[in-house]
Amino acid sequence: MSSWDAVTRGQPARVGSNPAEPTDLAVSWRTRDSGSRPVHLLLGHSEDSCCTGVVARLAARGLSALIVASPLIPPARLAWRLADDGLTARLDLGEGPVEIAGVLVRGTPSLDPTGWAPVDHAYMQAETLSATLAWLAGLPCPVINRPSAAQWYGGRPSLLSWRPLLRDCGLLAPEQVITNDRAEAGAFRLRLEADGVAGAIYVPLTGGAGYLVATDAAWEGLADLQQRSPVCLSEPHGAAHPACIVGGEVIWDDDASPESRALAPRLRQLAAVARLDFLEVAIASLRRGLGVVMVEPMPVLEHFAPPTRGRILDALTALLAPSAAEAEAVR
Amino acid sequence: MILVCGGLADGVTELVCARLEHSGYPYRLLDLARYPSGYRVAWRWTDAGPAGTIAGPDWVLDLDDLTGVYVRFLGAEGRLPPDGEPEAAAALQFEADAGLLALLENLRCPVVNRTGGGMSNNSKPYQSLLLRRAGLKVPSTLVTSDPAAARAFQAEYGDVIYKSASGIRSIVRRLGETQQARLAFLRDGPAQFQAFVPGRNVRVHTVGDAVFATRIETEAVDYRYAHLDGLSVAMTAVTLPAAVKAACLRVARDLDLVFAGIDLKETPDGEYVCFEVNPCPGFIYYERHTGQPISAALADLLNGTAPDAWREARQPTG
Repeated sequence: MSSWDAVTRGQPARVGSNPAEPTDLAVSWRTRDSGSRPVHLLLGHSEDSCCTGVVARLAARGLSALIVASPLIPPARLAWRLADDGLTARLDLGEGPVEIAGVLVRGTPSLDPTGWAPVDHAYMQAETLSATLAWLAGLPCPVINRPSAAQWYGGRPSLLSWRPLLRDCGLLAPEQVITNDRAEAGAFRLRLEADGVAGAIYVPLTGGAGYLVATDAAWEGLADLQQRSPVCLSEPHGAAHPACIVGGEVIWDDDASPESRALAPRLRQLAAVARLDFLEVAIASLRRGLGVVMVEPMPVLEHFAPPTRGRILDALTALLAPSAAEAEAVR
Repeated sequence: MILVCGGLADGVTELVCARLEHSGYPYRLLDLARYPSGYRVAWRWTDAGPAGTIAGPDWVLDLDDLTGVYVRFLGAEGRLPPDGEPEAAAALQFEADAGLLALLENLRCPVVNRTGGGMSNNSKPYQSLLLRRAGLKVPSTLVTSDPAAARAFQAEYGDVIYKSASGIRSIVRRLGETQQARLAFLRDGPAQFQAFVPGRNVRVHTVGDAVFATRIETEAVDYRYAHLDGLSVAMTAVTLPAAVKAACLRVARDLDLVFAGIDLKETPDGEYVCFEVNPCPGFIYYERHTGQPISAALADLLNGTAPDAWREARQPTG
């Protein structure tokens, strides 16, 4: 085995990121400014229910929290300095320097194009994204879903991207086909029909909803599309049940079946190898058994029943700002 | 069988194909200028990973027969405009590319290079953290939107350069009086400053476990643009200290880059300072000036005849 092999085996290279624990980038962190106020930052939209729910819980504990779409846009001032003596970062959100106590990453920052020439806006957007990623990577505090560059810049990964990790964790995934060959699509249709499954799901890889292709007319329409581009088809599945992994906890809606719940250790393993602290999956029946039909590194609270949402927010808040007792328990 | 994904008009792709021909290694070219037009793909994902075929004008390639893939994506200017209404055509082209990317990410053979590994090149300061973790020294760096911090950094280091922090290419320039007068514009957004590192540029290419280092000597601040200032460039193949060589290999592995271009500077004190890693190195320039067998090493790697066990890298673990 070469030295390369030893490192890449089992490494979640494509969808991995850094954990909520302080960064592993091995840079000593120099003392922060005295007198700065500790604050929890939630990088996301002000109406994101994950952000608002966590802010409310932190506020109830008397902790300061802010929802910001971008922590670096004016009037913020960042000074991120990496030198032989270590890494320091000083962030002033407009009212003096803040001490970042924890960050929940729910999105990437976007620079308002107003007042910018398009070429300058594109440049500054890229610079801001770059600086924000580096800042997050070096923070010594908990950062929930601390992004890797691949996550930060790669957009939302499709289920295909997750397949190697799912496989490594012993989790089934639906059979999928990418083809611009009408005969190959027809063969997939026949395989499904032989197993009693009527139709396939057309899944645009670039986003958007899937479409059930079941009738002859729909298959003809798909064949027309295949003349222009390969299409991704997926095995249909039964009713999907969401699960949310928060830290080491797998949270289900109350009606989740025992068979689904039995997958919890594998789901915990999935989140661990993906190095994500906050992850949503959807479990559904496939031809060969229960499998994962969706992986979402930006969980959607509304996919869960109201009581479950509360449990997710509680777990998320505890991960972001562990109480003294929780921190002691972890130690 | 090797798969080359690139454009016939691209010099680097052309060199790779020529080297494969010269080495007698079988390959197929998937012309990204035309793809998906003219190609038939049938890829199936089950629990064992992708299987299936790619068919070109007069060939069919089974994914199981692949020993390696070389990819060099083209910009919009290198591709034939898709047929049909522009917006829909562009969306379908995007969909076709996404499918190809998904395949490349899932293949078990070496892929030069998978896109994920190169993403760090979009954030130079983030990449600096990874470089340090791999054991490479990096220049003192400030990323700031605070003019006072930039002035303090220059006061501390004296000779300071500035360049883009993102993947957008920029010419490295010294922070002089003209630029100092414009520091107030930092309030609109952050910029990257670095302490100027004196010494000689060294470009390292890692190909699997092989390392090729080239020393570049010029008076220009940024040797890539020396000609703009009327300055000459001299290149020599050099051997790196063992620790630096090991660190270069480590960072390539950390970034999942089978083939990488790593920019170093050798200081007058004999230290090596790393500036960045390029995930899609245009190595022709260095190979032609020094005669180093970079493309031959790449060909061996793609063919599975390199002296290391690259093919094992992506075997399923479960």
